[in-house]
Amino acid sequence: MKLKAGSTVVAPDTDQGVDVEDVTEVDKPWLVIVWNDPINLMSYVTWVLQKLFGYSRPKATKLMLQVHQEGRAVVSSGSREKAELDCFRLHAHGLWATISKSY
Amino acid sequence: MGHYLKELLVPSISRKRSGRVRLALDDQEAQIMRELIREMETLLEADIPRVDAVVSRLFPDAYDDADESERFRELIGDQLHDAKRAALRTVKESLGTEGKVSVTLAPENAEEWLRVLTDLRLAIGTRLEIDDAKMSADIDPGDPDAQALLLLHWLGWTQELLVEAIDR
Repeated sequence: MKLKAGSTVVAPDTDQGVDVEDVTEVDKPWLVIVWNDPINLMSYVTWVLQKLFGYSRPKATKLMLQVHQEGRAVVSSGSREKAELDCFRLHAHGLWATISKSY
Repeated sequence: MGHYLKELLVPSISRKRSGRVRLALDDQEAQIMRELIREMETLLEADIPRVDAVVSRLFPDAYDDADESERFRELIGDQLHDAKRAALRTVKESLGTEGKVSVTLAPENAEEWLRVLTDLRLAIGTRLEIDDAKMSADIDPGDPDAQALLLLHWLGWTQELLVEAIDR
């Protein structure tokens, strides 16, 4: 029996899987947390979250209510640079925000 | 606060079709705002230690860790101060020097008004050590803080109307 040249296809070797590293502290995103305060208006906080992060009104309202009822909420996350910029913008709008790796 | 606020009305704030915001304050309201702006200017110019509750509320720590917070402060430099001062200037300009106020604000200037109203409320509320209960309670006329509380609420009504006008 003749084999036609090129009739066989070598399947890629799938056994040599890439080692999956554990997600370390370094890989975890930085979280920007807004804390409840008794002074800022609910309507204002909702507006700030919409304006700064482009959130829809329902999403911004949900986050605002979480801050109000649970005392805090993660409003954005990402690289340290992004978290620090977001935190600065929140401070500029009078919201009480901090940066952390854990919530 | 040395004001005697007899009858503070809700200020007149409305949105125009252009997206600009019309804001009108009577003599007394305008005078109160001018005085509050002067007080805030003084606060921002003064070198008040960070342990002061109002200063630490207006310029909060960004991290739990003190060293990290200090690094963040060095990173942002004067930007937070500058943003607050710029917004104050805008409000000061729209208030003029005397009499009642009737201005039409561009959207970005209306937003500066919102930030100034926020800072004023944070300063007054923090000084009063206000909590949720006191914030939502009726004002007791016998309370030594009654005038400051009334002012805090009036600034709140004003801000509420401005948010509505901006946010539709």
